Amino acid sequence: MKRFFTIYEFELKSYLKNKSFTITTILLVVLLFAATFLPRVFDMSDMLGIEKTSTESGDNKDTSDEAKTDDADKTKIGIVDETGILGDMSVLKQAFEDTDIVTMKTEKELKKAVKSKDVSAGFDVKDDLNYEYYVVNRDMYDENQMIFEGILSQVHQQLYCEKKGLDYATFAAEYDAPVNCTEKILGKDAGDNYWYCYVLVMVIFMMIILYGVMVATSVTVEKSNRSIEVLVTSVDAKYLLFGKVFAGASAAIVQLGLILASALIGYNINHTYWGDKLDMILKIPGSVLAAFAIFGIGGFLFYAFLYGAMGALVSKTEDINKSAGTLQMLIMVVYFIVIFQLSTPDSVVMKVCSFLPFSSYSAMFVRIGMGSVTMAEIVVSAVILFVSTFAAGWLAAKIYRMGTLRYGNPIKLTTALKSLKNN
Amino acid sequence: MKLEVKNITKSFGETNVLKGISFSVESGKALGLLGRNGAGKTTTIRILMDVFHANSGEITLDGKPFEPRKVQIGYLPEERGLYPKRKVLEQMIYLAMLRGVSRKTAATNAKRWLERLEVSQYQDRLLETLSKGNQQKVQLASTLVCDPEIVILDEPFSGLDPVNSQILQDVVQELIRDGKIVIFSSHQMSYVEEFCEDIVIINHGEVVLSGHLDTIKRDFGKDQLVLSAIDMSPEEFSNQIRSRLTDIVQITGQTKEDVIVRLNEGVNRRELLAKLSQLEDIAIEHFETYKPSLNDIFVASAGE
Repeated sequence: MKRFFTIYEFELKSYLKNKSFTITTILLVVLLFAATFLPRVFDMSDMLGIEKTSTESGDNKDTSDEAKTDDADKTKIGIVDETGILGDMSVLKQAFEDTDIVTMKTEKELKKAVKSKDVSAGFDVKDDLNYEYYVVNRDMYDENQMIFEGILSQVHQQLYCEKKGLDYATFAAEYDAPVNCTEKILGKDAGDNYWYCYVLVMVIFMMIILYGVMVATSVTVEKSNRSIEVLVTSVDAKYLLFGKVFAGASAAIVQLGLILASALIGYNINHTYWGDKLDMILKIPGSVLAAFAIFGIGGFLFYAFLYGAMGALVSKTEDINKSAGTLQMLIMVVYFIVIFQLSTPDSVVMKVCSFLPFSSYSAMFVRIGMGSVTMAEIVVSAVILFVSTFAAGWLAAKIYRMGTLRYGNPIKLTTALKSLKNN
Repeated sequence: MKLEVKNITKSFGETNVLKGISFSVESGKALGLLGRNGAGKTTTIRILMDVFHANSGEITLDGKPFEPRKVQIGYLPEERGLYPKRKVLEQMIYLAMLRGVSRKTAATNAKRWLERLEVSQYQDRLLETLSKGNQQKVQLASTLVCDPEIVILDEPFSGLDPVNSQILQDVVQELIRDGKIVIFSSHQMSYVEEFCEDIVIINHGEVVLSGHLDTIKRDFGKDQLVLSAIDMSPEEFSNQIRSRLTDIVQITGQTKEDVIVRLNEGVNRRELLAKLSQLEDIAIEHFETYKPSLNDIFVASAGE
């Protein structure tokens, strides 16, 4: 065990002393922490969709120049209302805030104005249920039609009430009568948990891909610099691989922990300036974080051992991608399955995935965060994951030892497994 | 301590690399493992170090099964390698600690060996910043940092300049004096002759010659003589011997100045001398017992 810690310490130091690792960590910590202070320094209320937090009373005084500029910046919409059902356009002006309504006489005139971009879009009203919409290039998020149809629908209702001798105000009050609901969620609110589950699934995916390759590289480097022969003749290969993987995991946790902590602390200090808008991502309940820690670490170690084995199959660092390709594909498939099933955490696919060691690290974590899962299921899944992780470590150590002096072309995994079987 | 290798065999696939290698070596002695490229020296060493498993045979230390990780062994592999991006002293301490040495002792030993090998000024430098020769010295220091009882050096002189080779020779002599078991493989026969009492010559995976070097030399030179004649080239002299003395000697070799002959069975050197004195056209210049070099023995044993 003493030798395991010797290896662990040596390998961990190599990560922590690595300049690019240290610089990346410091840079990300500082940048993220600084980013959480942005709403204090800059007015981001428009972007965040919150009311201005400024306490200065003079802020709302517009100068005449600014007002002029605002007028010039206003978008324009053209209207042809030959039937006159929109009246004096006051309803329209109310609905299209900050927009100039330009009345035109003919459809031809409207088309010309839209084409020459004098107006950004145009409506040709045929009657209270039919209209034509003119625009040069339709925006992905164009809401003009939706707003306009709301107005036409209102006009149609008014005309109907007039025709039938009904009081429109009474009709509208009944038609749009509010329904009151007091929500009593007895389980979990998927809506609330969705975003941080999404973020954490992505984080663990990135962590496995990035740091897994780091572990594989640290194994391959010892083959490429030929130090592996001295190492395996000095100490059991199991200690070497476990020491490396645990050091890689610790480095990952330290780096990720610092980055996450800087974001969480910074946000906690500044959450009022953010209008609590990032709560859905950054206000993660302790139980979800604990599940993330257990299954995330288990999953990371599981894949880190496999990455270590893949590193032992090649003797040049540039060949790692060749040997780790299948493993990376598996990780990607798991990621996409979990992401696509995120809104249905209790589906059969997610239930199966939550018990397989290849996928339980994110599937079970999502079920804990958003679905219904019993404690027994969590324990069984965790046991399967950790036993499989240990088995992966044992197998990886065997492959590592087998690959010791096999320099040259990458060894195929099937060849490696056959060699182990024959030995 | 006595390390014995008994009849080990090893094959890779269909290729039989070792076909029953046996030798033994004791504390305070050095064993030279000699052989041509691909003869099986490194495979033998790797089996000793448990890098490979032998298909059959046995290795014992004082009669008990040999477990390399339970004895302090300094191993310098043929494929040299340390951590280029780590500091010299730091990685030496690490390698010693992997062999169970305490951090404090490891640091003391590392500094002592760096000093002895005249590279102590580089202890805080990254290995990759050192010259190739100095990196070799650091590698050797790393081999010895665990204060080993058994030292196994695979081609230790390759890549060393004459000055560094001399330092290494001195270190090996010290190890032998300190009672260590030293096993090393080399192509450079002069170094092997310098401090090996015993040699093993391996050819095509088999031991073709082994034993005490002096005895081997004596046996190999037995009944052989070095001859030369005044005003006659070795080629001319050889022709004369072939045409006039084949009933007494057979030519076994030739150097730049001399001819090496072996007495035929039942003939002694007095008879040869008498016969030579009867040849009036040949004036003998040089007549002495043949003392073979290790190189001669190696070529004769391992040459095709």
